[in-house]
Amino acid sequence: MGKVLRDLRPVYVVGVGLHRYQHKSETPYVELGLTAVREALTDAGIEWPSVEAVYNGTAQLGIAPTRIMLRHLGTTGIPMTQVENASASGSSAFRQACLEVAGGVSDVVLAMGIDKPEGLKLASRKAGVPDLVGSRSVPFTHFALLANAYMNRHNVSPETIAAVAVKNHRNGANNPYAQRQKERTLEEVLDGPSISGSLTRLQCCPVGEGAAAVIVVSEEAMPRLGINRGRAIRVLASTIRTERVYTGGKNFDAELTRETVAQGYDEAGIAPTDLDVIELHDAFSIEELLYVEAMGLCGEGEAAGLLERGDMDIGGKCAVSPSGGLLAMGHPIGPTGAGQIVELTRQLRGEAGVRQQLNARTGLAHMVGVGAVCVVHVLQKDAG
Amino acid sequence: MTAPSPARPQLFAQPNETDSSSPPALYGKRCQACGYTFFPPHAYSCESCGGAAEQVEQHLLAGTGMLQSYATVHVHHDPNTPTPFTVASITLDAGPTIRALLTCPTDADVSLGDRVQSVLVPTGSAADGNERTELRFEKVEKGEAA
Repeated sequence: MGKVLRDLRPVYVVGVGLHRYQHKSETPYVELGLTAVREALTDAGIEWPSVEAVYNGTAQLGIAPTRIMLRHLGTTGIPMTQVENASASGSSAFRQACLEVAGGVSDVVLAMGIDKPEGLKLASRKAGVPDLVGSRSVPFTHFALLANAYMNRHNVSPETIAAVAVKNHRNGANNPYAQRQKERTLEEVLDGPSISGSLTRLQCCPVGEGAAAVIVVSEEAMPRLGINRGRAIRVLASTIRTERVYTGGKNFDAELTRETVAQGYDEAGIAPTDLDVIELHDAFSIEELLYVEAMGLCGEGEAAGLLERGDMDIGGKCAVSPSGGLLAMGHPIGPTGAGQIVELTRQLRGEAGVRQQLNARTGLAHMVGVGAVCVVHVLQKDAG
Repeated sequence: MTAPSPARPQLFAQPNETDSSSPPALYGKRCQACGYTFFPPHAYSCESCGGAAEQVEQHLLAGTGMLQSYATVHVHHDPNTPTPFTVASITLDAGPTIRALLTCPTDADVSLGDRVQSVLVPTGSAADGNERTELRFEKVEKGEAA
């Protein structure tokens, strides 16, 4: 058996930065990325030449965007690698950065994500395995089918599922980096144009452009670079799994999340009750209910009650998607997973402003990507 | 006049290949080593046990089953795909859960648990002028679970 992150050198997040997620614009990706990276360097209080390696999550820009962008910070010759893992590209880039620092290869690594909506090309369409539905079932219909089954199994109404979007838009309205910064009533969410099944437009995430950057360092690097240790957030666990064959009519998406999160809890040595804040893959409203159940925050079919009681609100037992999540902050693909780490870091430092979950100490980031892959990270503020 | 040509004919038996009074059967696959049965078919191997392609055999799946979930799609990126149409998740009596279109464009008349069966339906003319058909599923009996 190999080792897990916690068996290796401690890894800390010390700098975070974003370019606002937004509709596709004329702004070149280079400018989006540099904005996020400069913000992260300033936040960490370090200079670009201190960075020893880069992992960049990106899925739509074409090959080799990283050096073309980062050369404008000064060409230091460091290794730069693109990471593509569908929606979990940014999360996977962050994982590679953590592993590189934990393994002792580097002391200071930049994980980032960058994309513009250039169109996703799904390799599954070229796999030589046609089905009856083809391109007529896209992700929003996949999740509309899961919503339909969930409503029937647990006697839940479309209003209950739509309430996820109300909460996440409320959170996004207070996030200056969110693509959607407007509170929405339940009526507005339900009255919006129907996309597929019970899912309306505001229950589907906007896919725009943006950038996210996270600087991870070793313990040794902090005194050497004069980094404020009081603002450093430990990465306790990093897990990634892919979908297996699940028989017996199980929900594949929920099962993959259940397995990956369980491994994350085990590696971090925590239980679901330890979580103060979660950023999860709420690309479609129904997903948040499915995943908090799979994460063990409550039993199957109980997430609607959790939501109604305000337990998932900022100020509740565990704030879920305080950034606004994919539904309101947005889902520019490559940046999204790295952007979750930015939000968790702000929350665990106590620097999230009006979105602050009080006394947040432990957070979990969760992304899934088509194919299917799930990536989970557990972050924690050191006691003291 | 040419006979209508079905879309994705490699996925199911044509009505004249089997008993024409039965709904068209699907070309599933079954692993002789572990018993895993799947659809859509492919010639690679068994994804459940990793068994080689040689031990995975064609396995006809009757075109009958139960409606597990459905979603009427109102938006599609391709203007050549008219909306609405309804995608369903169907658990076949033969085991696997598959996805297919229902014959009805909207879900007004269907409920979870309904019995459904496969049927070839005309879908208009293709670019070559020939009439096209497609395998979809139609409701045959109201379910008890609804």
